[in-house]
Amino acid sequence: MSLLIVIVIQAGFYALLGLGYVLIYRATRVLNLAHGDLMVFGAFIFYQALANSNGGLATAVLAACVGAMLLGALVYTGIMRPLAGYPVAVGVLATIALGIGLRSIVTLIWSGQTRYPSEYVGQLGRPIEIAAGVFISGIDAVIVVFAALALVGIPLLLQRAAIGVDMRGVAENALLAAQRGINIHVINALSWAAATLMATVAGVFFSLKVRLGPDIWYVGLAGFAPALIGGMDSLRGVAIGAVIVAAAEVLAARYIAPQIALAAPFLVLLIALWIRPWGIYGTREELERI
Amino acid sequence: MSFSFLPSTLRTAHAQDMWLLDSAFVRLWATAGLAGALVLPALLTNFWMGVANQVFIAVIGALALNLLMGTTGQISLGHAGFIAAGAFTVAALVTHLDAPIGVTLLTALVVGAILGVLVGLPALRLKGLYLAVSTLAAHFVIIVGLGQYQAAISYGAGFSLSPPSIFGLEIASERHWYYFLLPVTLGILLLNVNWLRSAYGRAWTAIRHRDIAAESLGINVARYKLLAFSASTSLTCFAGALAAYHTGFVSVEAFDFHLLIQYLAMVIIGGLGSVLGAVLGAVFVIALPNLISVAADKVPLLQGLGGKVFELQIGVFGAIMLLFLMLEPRGLAGIWARVRFYFQLWPFKYRAWES
Repeated sequence: MSLLIVIVIQAGFYALLGLGYVLIYRATRVLNLAHGDLMVFGAFIFYQALANSNGGLATAVLAACVGAMLLGALVYTGIMRPLAGYPVAVGVLATIALGIGLRSIVTLIWSGQTRYPSEYVGQLGRPIEIAAGVFISGIDAVIVVFAALALVGIPLLLQRAAIGVDMRGVAENALLAAQRGINIHVINALSWAAATLMATVAGVFFSLKVRLGPDIWYVGLAGFAPALIGGMDSLRGVAIGAVIVAAAEVLAARYIAPQIALAAPFLVLLIALWIRPWGIYGTREELERI
Repeated sequence: MSFSFLPSTLRTAHAQDMWLLDSAFVRLWATAGLAGALVLPALLTNFWMGVANQVFIAVIGALALNLLMGTTGQISLGHAGFIAAGAFTVAALVTHLDAPIGVTLLTALVVGAILGVLVGLPALRLKGLYLAVSTLAAHFVIIVGLGQYQAAISYGAGFSLSPPSIFGLEIASERHWYYFLLPVTLGILLLNVNWLRSAYGRAWTAIRHRDIAAESLGINVARYKLLAFSASTSLTCFAGALAAYHTGFVSVEAFDFHLLIQYLAMVIIGGLGSVLGAVLGAVFVIALPNLISVAADKVPLLQGLGGKVFELQIGVFGAIMLLFLMLEPRGLAGIWARVRFYFQLWPFKYRAWES
């Protein structure tokens, strides 16, 4: 039973990261390998605001959210927009370059040492009993609740709100959407901002739960596995992908070896790419058999 | 009959068309280059010879990556994993079997070929983004697997290798390494140039442009893609094996994302698709940070910067890669081509056809 709880919590974390990847892919059709570093940057903004306000959680979260959205919009406008129309390899390499650029900026500003934001917010980490003898920490509960809200809220937004419909239009066919009068640059910047926001929230949770340092970017990188397994352009698939990857990781760590947990998301990803490259709910793209 | 007094582009026999060094001008500069390379160790300090050796190994790795990404157009982000595989092959053979260098290098080549086929098989179904992702996933799986091996055998401490010896001569100092690596690198360079001029190179280039069209022209795309992966990974493992012997120490932390970025930078900054690009990129990525840190120490204003160069270098490479991708996709080789073209045409600005 406790294993199931751990899987659900980990799936919540992966769902937040996966949502970010999917939002970016739907907008700009690029796999954002800098997502882990965006996560770290946002988490560091959170930490800095927390340290400056000496424990003011609300202000820190707000600062991180605003900073993340600005960062996402800036990254789109400055880097991804000029690279529109170049082949896929260019986009991938550009995000890799962006990622390492961000990481070196983070190391320059905040140095490479590990921080522990949880020391500022002690009462959030206290254990909560949710069933007979099963305890989770307050942070874990927040992760799951927030992930559930995001997984339900974002598709709802895309269905009902006017801007959501615009986003769906741009995701389906950017050229037609532009000709129809939708300002695709604003929409894409918003998508990037929202994705970076999701990443930052996930990063904030991870830093509160575990630790914060420039080296945790690989945690964000593992988040593209759930996105790909569910389908790079499908928001529905993120939930399933997150559950699959979280289950694989937790079960591998429990029954095989704890160090395998690092490779488990990628192993599952390789298998998924073998069987069904476009994901469970993704649209079939030009993948020919030879 | 020798017509050497006539202009060098006059061909009198079919065989002359196939020569690599086909004109007196090229032959002169090739000889000068070779002489310079042979004489260079006399002018370099031990530190710079170590850098030169690193450049040689990097050239082999960059040529391999260029073969896969530049010529065949298959995005591969698993390069660091393959270098690790080559290094660990050497470590395993030396630790368990005390094998000589000839055996380990050959085994690294074979291991690389097999690994290339394994990683290349998904490439038959996947293109572009998905291929990049699958090679990245393969990289992580390899690194974690090798980390487990290292933890099990050496308790996490890594493997140290004693200097190898060939036919009784021990390759211990940087000078020895220089004279060992120079012919090896030149040989692999010639091998690459030859491949690209052959049917293999033509098939790979066709696959890069339009693999469906290539298939319809009769090129067995599956076979050539697997060959490209196999050849590239084989050479990469070879480079990893050489690096293991040169450094004398093998540990999984050295083969991280950082290394992958370095090789990507070499190929992108040098220019995708050309052998010259791979060489220039390797020299740029390996030698330039060392040059900057040494030069910065000499200039009083920048003294603190010298120490920071290696920390910053990855960030700087990221920015430079982006700039090259956006402004000069053909990289340093493209810049060289532009300069050469300018001087070839001078005083004219353009001509009616591209040579």
